[in-house]
Amino acid sequence: MDLLWLVPTLPLAGFFILFVAGLLVSEQRQLKWLSGLVGAGSIGLAAAVALLVGMDYYAAGAEPTAYFLWTWMDVGGFAPSIRLYLDGLSLVMMGVITGVGFLIHLYATGYMWDEEGYSRFFAYMNLFVFAMLMLVLGDNLLVLFLGWEGVGLCSYLLIGFFHKDPENGYAARKAFVVTRVGDTAMLLGLFLLFREVGTIEVQAAMAGARDLWPDGSTTVTIIALLLLGGAVGKSAQVPLQTWLPDAMAGPTPVSALIHAATMVTAGVYLIARTHDLFLLSPTAQFAVAAVGLVTLFISSFTALTQRDIKRVLAYSTMSQIGYMFLALGVGAWSAAIFHLMTHAFFKALLFLASGSVILALHHEQDMFRMGGLWKKLPIPFASMLIGSVALAALPFTSGFYSKDAIVLASFEYGSFFWAGAAIAAFMTALYTTRMMVITFFGEMRTEPHDHSHINMWGPLLVLAALAIGGGWYGLEAVASVLPDGGVGEQDHTSTVAILTMAAPILGIVIGYLIFHGRQLKLDRLVESQAGDATRRFWFGGWGFDALYDRVFVGPFVWFARLNKRDGVDFVYTAAAGITRGFHHVIALTQSGHLRWYAANMAIGLLAAFAIVLVLLA
Amino acid sequence: MNILALILFLLLGGVVAWAAERVHPSAPRWVGLLTFVAAGLYVAQAWAGGYAYANQYIEWIPRFGIHVILSMDGLSLMLVALTLFLGIVAVVSSWTETERSHGFFQFNILWVMAGVVGVFTAFDLFLFFFFWEVMLIPMYFLIAIWGHEARAYAAMKFFLFTQISGLLMLFAILALVYFHYAATGLLTFNYHDLLGAAISRDVSFALMLGFFVAFVVKLPGVPFHTWLPDAHTQAPTAGSVILAGILLKTGAYGLIRFVVPLFPEASADFAWWAMFLGALSILYGGYMAYSQSDFKRLVAYSSVAHMGFVLLGVFAFHEVDGVLVTNELGMQGAIVTMIAHGFSTAALFMMAGALQERLHTREMSRMGGLWVRAPRMGVVTMFFVIASVGMPGLGNFIGEFLVLVGAFKASIPLTVAGALGVVVAAVYGLVLLQRAFQGTPNPDIPAMRDFGWREMSVMVLMMAALVWIGVYPQPLLDLAGPVIELLWEAP
Repeated sequence: MDLLWLVPTLPLAGFFILFVAGLLVSEQRQLKWLSGLVGAGSIGLAAAVALLVGMDYYAAGAEPTAYFLWTWMDVGGFAPSIRLYLDGLSLVMMGVITGVGFLIHLYATGYMWDEEGYSRFFAYMNLFVFAMLMLVLGDNLLVLFLGWEGVGLCSYLLIGFFHKDPENGYAARKAFVVTRVGDTAMLLGLFLLFREVGTIEVQAAMAGARDLWPDGSTTVTIIALLLLGGAVGKSAQVPLQTWLPDAMAGPTPVSALIHAATMVTAGVYLIARTHDLFLLSPTAQFAVAAVGLVTLFISSFTALTQRDIKRVLAYSTMSQIGYMFLALGVGAWSAAIFHLMTHAFFKALLFLASGSVILALHHEQDMFRMGGLWKKLPIPFASMLIGSVALAALPFTSGFYSKDAIVLASFEYGSFFWAGAAIAAFMTALYTTRMMVITFFGEMRTEPHDHSHINMWGPLLVLAALAIGGGWYGLEAVASVLPDGGVGEQDHTSTVAILTMAAPILGIVIGYLIFHGRQLKLDRLVESQAGDATRRFWFGGWGFDALYDRVFVGPFVWFARLNKRDGVDFVYTAAAGITRGFHHVIALTQSGHLRWYAANMAIGLLAAFAIVLVLLA
Repeated sequence: MNILALILFLLLGGVVAWAAERVHPSAPRWVGLLTFVAAGLYVAQAWAGGYAYANQYIEWIPRFGIHVILSMDGLSLMLVALTLFLGIVAVVSSWTETERSHGFFQFNILWVMAGVVGVFTAFDLFLFFFFWEVMLIPMYFLIAIWGHEARAYAAMKFFLFTQISGLLMLFAILALVYFHYAATGLLTFNYHDLLGAAISRDVSFALMLGFFVAFVVKLPGVPFHTWLPDAHTQAPTAGSVILAGILLKTGAYGLIRFVVPLFPEASADFAWWAMFLGALSILYGGYMAYSQSDFKRLVAYSSVAHMGFVLLGVFAFHEVDGVLVTNELGMQGAIVTMIAHGFSTAALFMMAGALQERLHTREMSRMGGLWVRAPRMGVVTMFFVIASVGMPGLGNFIGEFLVLVGAFKASIPLTVAGALGVVVAAVYGLVLLQRAFQGTPNPDIPAMRDFGWREMSVMVLMMAALVWIGVYPQPLLDLAGPVIELLWEAP
């Protein structure tokens, strides 16, 4: 139990070793296998320790416990401490981060082998895992914020990992800046919470909030909405979702770890962790549900039109997190975390499997240059198929149990929300089928060269098993933490439940008919003017990027160029200019001509006399 | 601790360094380095050995109530320590930069720093003004003699701005002493005697403004900042390190030590406007930083933004029981910001100097892809950019966060503006990193030398300092705490 501190410390140590080694030893002389060993090993050890900690936690009666490390600072009644907090929620998160994280690190030792900056890659990845663990283990919103910013930083570093291409740098900066807009909102939420409640220790602040505010009070709504702002940025939800598709510029293991399994779900964790605030504010909770539904809807239509396999998965991630937000909003707290976990399994699987495909095709990501790969790449194909059925939520897969719980809970919240969720489930199945068909069936357009070793297909097998079976046993752990008391048994016999279950099956069937058998021909619809315009609108992510470019980025850059010389300085240079002007005028009087001086003297004297006379008179 | 001896030691070191050039061209820099190291160890040993308040009193011009009063409380101590450390950084960063007058160069560095130590420890207003001027003139020489292409213009601009604002402060000092004399019959420049001087509210407001403008020019805050980009850009590396790392802090120090304690009511009346200037500096400075294409100018403007946090924090007066009182969180945040910014900006200027020495340009459009050529410089730049972007776990975050928490009690709109500055910081910081170190390697750039052990040892020390402040700032907070508490009780 006392080993908890070791869980975040191991990845931090891994980072430190790789960082220092990177400074001391030049790239050419680094031993790759050693970097890989440190990088993946530190996470593997952390996962093992996390397992021990989890066993101890249950052996000790599953009581939430806090581990004090040190007082970060103590000034003027503001004394946040660095303290780790273990309860069912943080335990689940810790398990996902270290477990799935380890598998992805292991995979990456193979995937990144031929890339420059091998040890730098693992340094960043380890730092990420450390930050993510601080985010979920921190018992204080400021420690959570430390992790929150830390994962944002690592996300930035890893999106731009291939730094020679300026495009990647742009994508990385975009991710960092857009999420930081959300972070700023969250920071203001912390300030307001601190001012009102006097503490930002999570447990104390939540207790304080419950005592302080009646249901629906304005202050708590503002705080909750500001926190939602942070969550929306980090979890790529509307309206701060635009960074995630571009974030696919990072290496595929990064997409799997950061932009699918862990960091992007941090917003879900934040809301679950501060659920007391949201319970006090029905407005804020409705906003969460609405954000989830809108994102879910927009992104699943967008995913249907993408060509890049990773962008399909990115939009799919957005929509699945949309489900989690919807769940939080409708009060199915445990289902949200349940879906977070199963999504981590199957989406990591999908990303890693697509990574194997991409690697075998020499970094080809356009699905329309793939095709017919299922025979040549059996393991990636099988993995991807398993991931896809879980994503589409076919019965008996992990995704089914979690998504079903969400969709059914949203029916109780409002049939409108249910309808949206069910349509999106249909769309999910449709775009997943499209992706699978285009990538793996039909004629082969590029010859693959698969040379992956066990360190790459091993993780795929484990994740495939989890994508199937990871949801069979529900999620008891969070029942004691979240207000809905865990994911209940679903009744699968009502009309709504049957419709909910039928939606993805229908999606797969229709998708198969459209994209594989071509029995359903939509060519005329797609090629019509309206169809084409819609397709392009969806393809571009519903115009958000264009809008932001025009409204924010454009004017910002325009005025920056205009004012490069600093308008304020003109005031001072003008003052200097005027002074110099006077200097020139007066210098003219120094002509060196005696007559001129004499005349001036005479005029001056006359003027002086005149003034004296006038004054005397 | 013998403060006077410390200052004289630095002055003497300057003279010796100047003379040492006759022995060998490289002797002056060794003298400079050893002087700073010795002085630094002296202060460090006092700090480590359970620091106690040091005080010195020597009669100087009793006729006018002027004396040499040197004291060192926690605030002074940490700033003096920073000064001496950055002295080492300045010498190291200009190790190979000067081509002529090596001795006079070191002399100027040592004399600026001696003046700064005096500024941080003088508790007699006349003596304070004296040191204020002492640090100015060597700085002028540093820019005017060893600066870059437009050094004459930049040096003159720096001189005029500080001189005119200094004059304003001199008037304010003399007027304060006069009004105090008129009220009590005691002619004195002693800081402690002048505290709580009974002056009418209007006069006190005017005097406060005199001090305020002098210090905000130095800080610098918008709209008095325009000397800074020129001075920083044109100064030699050591000059930029000293300017950004230390000289700006004398302005911040003046606000905390003089403006608020001497004129508490007037400061409280003016607080909103001061905070407004702070928020404006954060946003405008950050925005201007983004607009620049010159590495050094960008870092210079970023200083304007960071120092805006100091204004925001120091003047975050908030109401307690109907009375406006100084803000402990804001003050502490401002102080931590001063220290952390001292390290992060000094490091970035050192980097700018190193790049200029290697590439003979500061234009970022002519850099690009340098990471491949010099990975260590890339890592180091990345670290300090991340620090100045305000990453939790590093020093700058603690300062800015405390400032914002404190300011939130005073004015929510201005805090929101300040917090938005953090987004802007991300924009310009990452652009800097991108344009210089990432992207396609520029084929015109010749092979360049990466940082060696000399540069790296200084950089690693500064990185460690920022991590320490970021993870456990308590020693700094404890050191400044008693000083702040005195202020808190003053009004």
